Amino acid sequence: MSVALEAVGSALVGLVELPFRDGYVPSIVVVSLYVSLVAVSLSTLVSVPVAVTMGFLEFPGKSLVKSVINTGMGFPSVVVGLVVLFAVSNQGPLGSFELIFTREAMILSQFVLATPPITAISLAAITGVDDGVREAASALGGTRIDVALVVLKEARYGIATAILAGFGRAISEVGSVLIVGGNITSADGISKTRTLTTAIQLEARQGRYETAMILGAVLVVLVLTVNTIVVRLSDNGVTR
Amino acid sequence: MYRRVDGVSMSIQRRRFVAALGAGATVAAAGCTGDTTDGETNESGSNGDTTAQVGVAGETLTLTTTTSTYDTGLLDAIHTDFEDLYGVSVDAVAQGTGAALESARNGDADVVMVHARSLEDEFMRNGYGINRRDLMFNDFVIVGPEGDPAGIEGASSATDALTTIADAQAPFVSRGDNSGTHTKELVLWEEAGTQPGGDWYQETGTGMGEALNIANQQGAYTLSDRGTFISQRAEIDLTILVQGPIEGGPEILANPYGVMAVNPGVHDNANYDLAMAYIGWITSPGAQDAIADYQMNGEQLFFPEAISEEPDFQQYVPEGWQSDSASE
Amino acid sequence: MLRVTDVTHAYDAEPVLTDVSLAVDPGEVLALIGPSGVGKTTLLRILGLSLEPTAGTVAFDETDVWAADTARRRALRRRTGTVFQAASLFDASVARNVEYGLRVRRPWRERIRSGIRGLVGGEDAPASVRDALDVVGLPDAASRSADSLSGGEAQRVSFARALAYDPDLLLLDEPTSDLDPRNTAVVEDAVERARARDIGVVVATHDMNQAERIADRVAVLLGDGVTEVGLTEAVFDDPRDDRTRQFIAGELVY
Repeated sequence: MSVALEAVGSALVGLVELPFRDGYVPSIVVVSLYVSLVAVSLSTLVSVPVAVTMGFLEFPGKSLVKSVINTGMGFPSVVVGLVVLFAVSNQGPLGSFELIFTREAMILSQFVLATPPITAISLAAITGVDDGVREAASALGGTRIDVALVVLKEARYGIATAILAGFGRAISEVGSVLIVGGNITSADGISKTRTLTTAIQLEARQGRYETAMILGAVLVVLVLTVNTIVVRLSDNGVTR
Repeated sequence: MYRRVDGVSMSIQRRRFVAALGAGATVAAAGCTGDTTDGETNESGSNGDTTAQVGVAGETLTLTTTTSTYDTGLLDAIHTDFEDLYGVSVDAVAQGTGAALESARNGDADVVMVHARSLEDEFMRNGYGINRRDLMFNDFVIVGPEGDPAGIEGASSATDALTTIADAQAPFVSRGDNSGTHTKELVLWEEAGTQPGGDWYQETGTGMGEALNIANQQGAYTLSDRGTFISQRAEIDLTILVQGPIEGGPEILANPYGVMAVNPGVHDNANYDLAMAYIGWITSPGAQDAIADYQMNGEQLFFPEAISEEPDFQQYVPEGWQSDSASE
Repeated sequence: MLRVTDVTHAYDAEPVLTDVSLAVDPGEVLALIGPSGVGKTTLLRILGLSLEPTAGTVAFDETDVWAADTARRRALRRRTGTVFQAASLFDASVARNVEYGLRVRRPWRERIRSGIRGLVGGEDAPASVRDALDVVGLPDAASRSADSLSGGEAQRVSFARALAYDPDLLLLDEPTSDLDPRNTAVVEDAVERARARDIGVVVATHDMNQAERIADRVAVLLGDGVTEVGLTEAVFDDPRDDRTRQFIAGELVY
């Protein structure tokens, strides 16, 4: 415990002087953001329509799909990494795309990780929309698309929360991006597939816990910033 | 004992081939260096065009290696030379010994660099690795608390030291992860004739740095590569109790590194040309000097082994392999 | 304009409505009265062309609604408007709410264009929106947000929302049961103004005094079909059925 507090203390001091080469930390921040933002964007494009469909339609196997999604929310990231590794490895079905140890493979695995929370939370927000609103939208002459759009708009805060949850899951996971990305930097220290989380893991395995904590603080600040921006943007929508 | 002619000639041919490759690489390197270092533009125009003459330019070499190798920083220090020479980039993936070999087995790597001879031998025997070269060595040390409760300090036999630790049931931290260090540790136990087990023997499954931290906190013994220990020495209270061969300790604690190319006959997507250029470069006098010059905390970490006047056939084949041996 | 014949509806085994026959004409107010739970909402949804009855015909402008194809049925449905007991406004401005009906009736290309225009620089609310808000006594409410409205104001906006696209048939499901007398008066006045525009209005209510105030005709539901339909005065002064008489007198309690 005291080791942790010591480390946090020196980390806060160390924030001013980062013990890394020039460009190292910015480059791993860039990779972290790039991979997670792309993965979450792609996931949103898939998850929200799926959530809307599930919120409006009954179809055979719907409860099975729900179970799969809920299970996916807690799925260990390292297992997802292994599955993606099998898929993109030279021996796997996607081997010919040469995705192993690339950012694209990392985007793929984070897409898999982010989709269940985004879908599940969006679905909860959508089904949580008052039935009266749905009925009114329909009774006033709206087509199914119109009603869906109305419901989506009513659920927008819940959906924003869902996307943030997906982003949080993606940017703070280490198990899958480590396995499929390989934690690679070029010889001059600029990151190719190294993210904040895998960099933290690297420092920790070398026993450099204080440095690991500094990077951890950077990650927390990053996630906080993204969350604040999204919440601020949503709040601005209230007065419209 | 009379050796079969073809066996000898094969080895000589192979050695000549690799030497020629190394020489060729060096010449090519010299040629490129000559064009670029004096900063003049040649007929092709800007500096960038000179590397277009080399066939592998613009490509990426995937090299998988162990975490302890990578964590010394050696590769980042020397790879820039290779990258500039050929206009390529090297993706060094630090995975740990087992994973590095597994990636190579799957064809996800072009060249693999580890320090676990028995695993390298198996890799070669199964046909996945070819053109192995000895690269460099450092050594292992047995470290422990200054109080040395088991009393192993200065032991001249590593195996005796481990037996003493086992008998005393003194806490011992093991990597437990099929890493090069762990492999060496298992070899030592086997040589000592002791099966470690019980509460005093802890397998952590972590990297070397973390393992040292754990041993430090528990006042336990552990086997460490010298490089990681040097880099952590300031922060922990462990001390070297049994030296490795670099400082006069038993030869069994030597830690030799090998480099192998992934067999293009098994994985046709392996970048064999670039892998051989890499092996040629890293076993060349220039790179071997750079390896020797690399220091951490003021100490030399690695001792080059690739270049020698005397032949060393064992580096190309699994240890103990002979062409007339029926068991292979 | 709208005629339902021998309509029966059952959600599961027990029928809620049995052999109901009604007609609604433009410019008249028909009140559906009866105790809660007797099927007024169900009947209202059938009249609003959003619920297909288990048996019976629904004819709008002589067209058999449920025998027609989907597109035709949607076109007919779009000539109706419904105000529910709960206002169910959208989480947006009053103007956005009221113009919803207008918006969904415009072709997509136009909607996208005006949507982009709206993003760039606000548009003024169209005339029909302002007019509808006038009718419900909220002329200046257009830019307010829906969640800033009181209960009564919200219900009035809900009324304006159903009025804004000039429907032929307006259906109101207990529109004032949650409102105070002042707001109730505003809504009843709006009903009158709708009638003056030749809109056919059907009001489901359990408040008989309200029915007497605003309705031209009443249909009394008492548990298994419509017991009486007729001019308000006639039904209230001299009901033909005993149960109707008891209900009006307040004796029937379910």
